[in-house]
Amino acid sequence: MWKEYTVTYKSDNVYDNWVHDAYWQFLIIPVENETQKLLEFDFANSIHCINQYSINGFGFDTIKVHPKKKFKQISFEATFKVLKSNESTPNENNFAKIETSLNEINSLNFKIDFERYLRETSLTALPKQNKGIFKFESNTGIFENLLGLNHWSHSHLKYIAGVTNIASTLETILNQRSGVCQDFAHLFCAVCRHNQVPCRYVAGYLNHESGYLGNSQMHAWVEAFVPGSDG
Amino acid sequence: MSNIESQIFSSYQRNPDLYDEIYDSNGNIKDIYQKLFDIYGEHSIQDYINLNSKAKASFFNQGITFQVYGEDNVQEKIFPFDLFPRIIDQEEWDIIERGSIQRAKALNLFLWDIYHDKKILKDKVVPLELITSSANYLDQMNGVNPPGGIYNHISGTDIIKHKDGQYYVLEDNIRCPSGVSYVICNRTALKRALFGVFNHYQTHTVTDYAENLLEQLESVKPKGVDIPNCVVITPGMYNSAFYEHSYLAKTMGVELVEGRDLFVENDFVYMKTIKGPVKVDVIYRRIDDAFLDPLEFRPDSALGVPGLFAAYKKGNVTLANAPGTGVADDKAVYTYMPDIIKYYLNEDPILNNVHTYHCSRPDELKYVLENIPELVVKPVDEAGGYGISIGNRLTKEEIEEVKKQVKENPRKYVAQPIMSLSVHPTYIDDTESFEQRHVDLRTFTILGRDKEFVLKGGLTRVALKKGNLIVNSSQGGGSKDTWVLKNK
Repeated sequence: MWKEYTVTYKSDNVYDNWVHDAYWQFLIIPVENETQKLLEFDFANSIHCINQYSINGFGFDTIKVHPKKKFKQISFEATFKVLKSNESTPNENNFAKIETSLNEINSLNFKIDFERYLRETSLTALPKQNKGIFKFESNTGIFENLLGLNHWSHSHLKYIAGVTNIASTLETILNQRSGVCQDFAHLFCAVCRHNQVPCRYVAGYLNHESGYLGNSQMHAWVEAFVPGSDG
Repeated sequence: MSNIESQIFSSYQRNPDLYDEIYDSNGNIKDIYQKLFDIYGEHSIQDYINLNSKAKASFFNQGITFQVYGEDNVQEKIFPFDLFPRIIDQEEWDIIERGSIQRAKALNLFLWDIYHDKKILKDKVVPLELITSSANYLDQMNGVNPPGGIYNHISGTDIIKHKDGQYYVLEDNIRCPSGVSYVICNRTALKRALFGVFNHYQTHTVTDYAENLLEQLESVKPKGVDIPNCVVITPGMYNSAFYEHSYLAKTMGVELVEGRDLFVENDFVYMKTIKGPVKVDVIYRRIDDAFLDPLEFRPDSALGVPGLFAAYKKGNVTLANAPGTGVADDKAVYTYMPDIIKYYLNEDPILNNVHTYHCSRPDELKYVLENIPELVVKPVDEAGGYGISIGNRLTKEEIEEVKKQVKENPRKYVAQPIMSLSVHPTYIDDTESFEQRHVDLRTFTILGRDKEFVLKGGLTRVALKKGNLIVNSSQGGGSKDTWVLKNK
């Protein structure tokens, strides 16, 4: 089952003084994979600068805008039509046996191949005193452990809008035990990586039956790789 | 006693514990230096003082200066130059040259591997943590194929001669190694001051560096480009090596640009000119990775070019050296060089490595902490001689401070036995006489598509402070002209 979505992104920027030179790089084009297809998109700005389609350092599609005339105000509007598959949620039957999975994630080759998704970053670094805040069970499958982590993180942190910003570290978040979606995602990533499970932060829009959640700030969640699965 | 010893060298004191490059073990002047001694002996010490002043003036007049960061009163300084040259015979140079090329090639293969298949990590020759914990590892370089397959187009290899008479590599510099302009200017200054000495020696030229560099840059042009447009990009006139940037651009006959002179459109790089945009194909960059592109790396960088990395990643422009090369000149990676050479080239290293202790290994950390007075402790990711602690020069308090720093971040430090750098007679202004001073040698190796070249000369750096082992210009070092003889 595939379902069509239309996402609109708007941004309005006003400056006190004339801006003579500026660059924007937008990382907002939905990725295409086996679960979603980009049908069409439109991206425009109020001063009619030409879009430059490029990639960033990690190979994701970007749109760059470099106005060639001065301005005090500029607005952007992007519209994307996306076809999304309605795949069922994975369950433990989709994955390899516990022992096989553990052997795989503990192998050197796996650590090298997935290093990018296992490395601790400034936003996914567990404070020293919190390294063991959530331990994966060795007699339980990785997928089940991830479900457990998801459940635990929602009980450990309280969702409160506006209590953090994009630079908030896990130390702050764990001390105040509250945050927003990006903070939950950072905590989830940190614990996953600490337990050798590769994962990555995802930004996008979430379908909530009656529509989708998020504005220009988008929603955030985590993709984890479970050995023995396709992704 | 020869005439020269009675005049210029009358007060020259030889410490028998040090390896003096001009005297043999019996205290006799080596054959290759004899003629030089005779010629210098024709001058009085006053002549020498006058010649030295002229050489200094020549450097000032040519604008060959540098700055030291972090000093309260930042001033342009000349890189002190010593008129007494260092001579390397053909036989010894052959070892240095082959060794420098061997290292540069091995490092290039290493860089390709760690940004692609990572076989050397999977084969457990180099530990994964060493690479991924390096501040200079650039994730964005994974899977990128640099034009011509070259990462370290220009390598600077720092080599010393130990008291056993053997050459040892202290470190490989493959980010933006500087100093080559001094090699060429030292030769010019010496020719101006003492042209006659060159009539008695068959020395290799050093002025062919620029043409070899340009040839190499052109050889790594992007696909589909016929005659590439090359430029040198500099952080600007306040950079300590600005003279060198402008010198290289001038001698290669290419434009010297700053980030604001370039722009990227549809992933191609252009230079702003009064005749309109001109496409740029190859950039010899003298800007650090972090500042290259504010859209990709440090967003506050005003030195770089927005969009440059995407243009590079798409293969539309060549950057020399490639971004991310710094991971291979990490001083902890250096310790694996013999293994790296063996792994990729199946050869034994031609140049020796100094034994190095990794503070990240618990047993080696223990040894380092217990033996700091006998060791040199170095941060793995600093250049310019910054952060180096020489154990036997430290007070008790300083030793404790070093221990504390190492314990706090063991991965950041390596330690080596204190090597006894060879010494060379060097004219000292304060005493108006020649004294022994420690020297090292930086060689400059160029790799291009099917091209390798080592500048036959290199930069001999002198630690001008008595007993000092750190030769970097930022630490009060000077330099000498370095002659490579065409015959033995």
